[in-house]
Amino acid sequence: MRNYTPLVTLLLIYAVMIAIGQGIQGMWQPIMLVIFYIAVGQALNIFLGMTGYVNFGYVALLGVGAYGMAVALGYYTDLGLIPALTLGFILAILLAFIVSMVVGGIALRLRGAYFAIATIGVNEGIKYLILGGKIWGGSSGIVLSGILRKAYGAETMRFLSTVFADAGLIVVAILSGIITMYILNSRLGYGLIALREDEDAAKVMGINVRRYKQIAFVISCILAGLIGATAWTLKLTYVFPQDVFAINYTVEAIVIVMLGGAGTLLGPVVGGLIYALLKYYLTIAFPGMQLLILAPLLIIVILLFPEGVVGYLAKAARGTRFEKFVR
Amino acid sequence: MAFVEQLISNLLYGAILGSVYGLATMGLSLIFGVLRIVNVGHGAFIMVGAFIAYWMFILYGIPPLISLFLAIAVGMAIGLAIYMLVVKRLVDAPELASLLAMFAIGIFIEEFAKQIWGADYVGYSWEIGGVSMLFTEVPFTKLLAFASSIVIAAVVYVWFRKTKIGKAVRAVVEDREGATTCGIDVNRIYALSFSLGIGLTVLSGVLVTLFTPVGINVYMGGEYTLKAFVIAVLGGLASPWGAFYAGFIFGLIENGSYTLLGLIPGVEPFGLTRFLSSVVLMLVLLVKPTGLLGGE
Amino acid sequence: MLLKLEEVTKRFGGLVAVNSVSLEIDEGEKVGIVGPNGSGKTTLYNVISGVYAPDGGRIFFEGKEITNLPAHERTKLGIARTFQVPRPFGSATVRENVAIGAMFGRANAGVDEALEMADRYLEMVGIYELREKEAKLLTPLEKKLMELARALAMKPKLLLLDELLAGMNPQDINRILDLINKVKEEENIATIAMVEHLMHAITKFAERVVVMHQGSKLIEGPTMEVLNHPKVVEVYLGEKLKIG
Repeated sequence: MRNYTPLVTLLLIYAVMIAIGQGIQGMWQPIMLVIFYIAVGQALNIFLGMTGYVNFGYVALLGVGAYGMAVALGYYTDLGLIPALTLGFILAILLAFIVSMVVGGIALRLRGAYFAIATIGVNEGIKYLILGGKIWGGSSGIVLSGILRKAYGAETMRFLSTVFADAGLIVVAILSGIITMYILNSRLGYGLIALREDEDAAKVMGINVRRYKQIAFVISCILAGLIGATAWTLKLTYVFPQDVFAINYTVEAIVIVMLGGAGTLLGPVVGGLIYALLKYYLTIAFPGMQLLILAPLLIIVILLFPEGVVGYLAKAARGTRFEKFVR
Repeated sequence: MAFVEQLISNLLYGAILGSVYGLATMGLSLIFGVLRIVNVGHGAFIMVGAFIAYWMFILYGIPPLISLFLAIAVGMAIGLAIYMLVVKRLVDAPELASLLAMFAIGIFIEEFAKQIWGADYVGYSWEIGGVSMLFTEVPFTKLLAFASSIVIAAVVYVWFRKTKIGKAVRAVVEDREGATTCGIDVNRIYALSFSLGIGLTVLSGVLVTLFTPVGINVYMGGEYTLKAFVIAVLGGLASPWGAFYAGFIFGLIENGSYTLLGLIPGVEPFGLTRFLSSVVLMLVLLVKPTGLLGGE
Repeated sequence: MLLKLEEVTKRFGGLVAVNSVSLEIDEGEKVGIVGPNGSGKTTLYNVISGVYAPDGGRIFFEGKEITNLPAHERTKLGIARTFQVPRPFGSATVRENVAIGAMFGRANAGVDEALEMADRYLEMVGIYELREKEAKLLTPLEKKLMELARALAMKPKLLLLDELLAGMNPQDINRILDLINKVKEEENIATIAMVEHLMHAITKFAERVVVMHQGSKLIEGPTMEVLNHPKVVEVYLGEKLKIG
């Protein structure tokens, strides 16, 4: 029946990662990089993995989330630390919600390929609205470090950009996993699987496909917004449009989802781990060539292992005592 | 009156540039029409064409119009290779697979190009004079680009209508299964159409350089990918001719709005024009999704 | 009156696929729709289940107009169907496929309940042992049985079967017909079965037959009477031999 046991595996992986990060000198930064990529994959997976629709504008949602937090901390500093932070999270969620409702409301009326085409414009559109309209500082972005240090003191700022940002990202990452598990076990999840496999048949089976796609899209986008707010704005204390709308994050997220296994709970975790480690060592071995190596990797995964690592493992585990722990 | 003059001359440029936009989108529509595969890596192939024009001019002094022939040959070869290696296996796969594969191919080409040509902006200038018309001086190079686009589109049109193989391609667009039963080798048509689609796209990249004197860069394609999708969607996505006409419309919209946005104080019209492309894309999808779905 | 079609028309471009067809189906009735390929049967199903909106005419279900109701809402009212070419949710297991029917059909079951119902219906159609298999790996016959289980799990009031029996051997046909009859009696489901050939099976199943020809209703009435009608014989020619 409903099976939440894979969450044990998920939480165990996080516990081990955090223990390594805290216990071994110099490991915290690489571990946080891994967790960032897991989170990015997990949030995208809720839409791409479960519906089979591609959101090429994914990074824009991290971007608007980052701006939401930056606007709150930079422009409403006087509210005080806690209210400004709260406002930051609210704005991040709200902006992601609005963008995903508008984009989804228009584009999700269309089938896969047309939806993908519509999303290609989203990232560019928002980036150039900010640059062209000179909104929120335009191309000079929002730089928070000076503002935060002046308003709340250097000590608080350091706490915000280290402990708080990292903890926030870990919470978002784990939350994304729990939401994924919940969806997989719910009517929503069954409906999404059906529409991914055959949208017309799903309609005739009584599934309100547009509503289901929209729900998955909005959830995925809001989680992306929260990742942007924590991993970028809080951690880096600045937001530049050229950085937060960089399309390579969309590519990375797609690679992670496909590599690990689309539509699975543990796929983005495995994909994120493999990817982040690969990237870490590739950057050292072949600086500036990650995308050159990643792109063929993605093609190979699509052609040869379309189910990804976890999709494959879940099948292999079927009928064994590990079955319950892999999904 | 200065503004009206500026608007009119910008619209003239828009129409000229629109012809190249149209040509640059025909390959995208051809591939979608025949294979039902969306080439989301479209812009990368335009970039390849741009570099072909650049290097031929810089190294050998060969004018872009001659490079067109090399570009379509190189493009078709690249297209055929991609078809054989990747696309062939994805024709009947879920949409997700072909979308992601084309996306990855586009990125691979850009990154590969970066390794050999670097990430800097380059350009060349081919000066052969100009002619004065409608309040502005139009360089001959741009008029040549305009004329070439129309001639090439016409050649493709005739090829489609008059040759046996062109008719076979059309038959596949209209009814894949029907064409198979008529004895058409669908696989060969796929290979040819994909190859020709990429060939046309690379070729259009040569003409694009006549409008961006210093804008040649390995990442220049992203902009054209977005534009091509707006145009393709305007033109009905699966129709190369629709795409060609829509190119003109888009050129006019783009240049007209650039001029008008320039009137708003405190904004940067170039950025806002690119924002507007996305809005147009969304609006077309909102207003005419039935047309896009091809009568579904 | 369960289902009522009033002069329903559906065109595709210049082609009239369904031409002003009127039809009434009572609760619990067993009706056969017979017609050669291209006679508009599948389009008629698509119009009833909401895949297409008709270009003309009106459709009522239990007295309520559903002409422009989306497919998924019609399903909730109690319409279920199988497809001529089975359409399983390929990567989901057989059990999950059937459970999806129970969740989103009129049964409107929760996840746990739906999975239990799936087991029950799979047992009923005789493919319980395949329940953990990926649906795309089934044979065509197994897929048809799974679709039947999926449609029944939706707890429909009206069940539309599209060439369900085609390609089955006589034992399977008898087994499935018995099964449909049994479920139908228990749950008072009206069933419309659509067939191209297999006149023999239709005589065993249907109380009433509608013959479609070139998008229009050619004739309708009690099964044996209709199948021996000169007009039908004319359309089918040699087919009559099979009724024998």
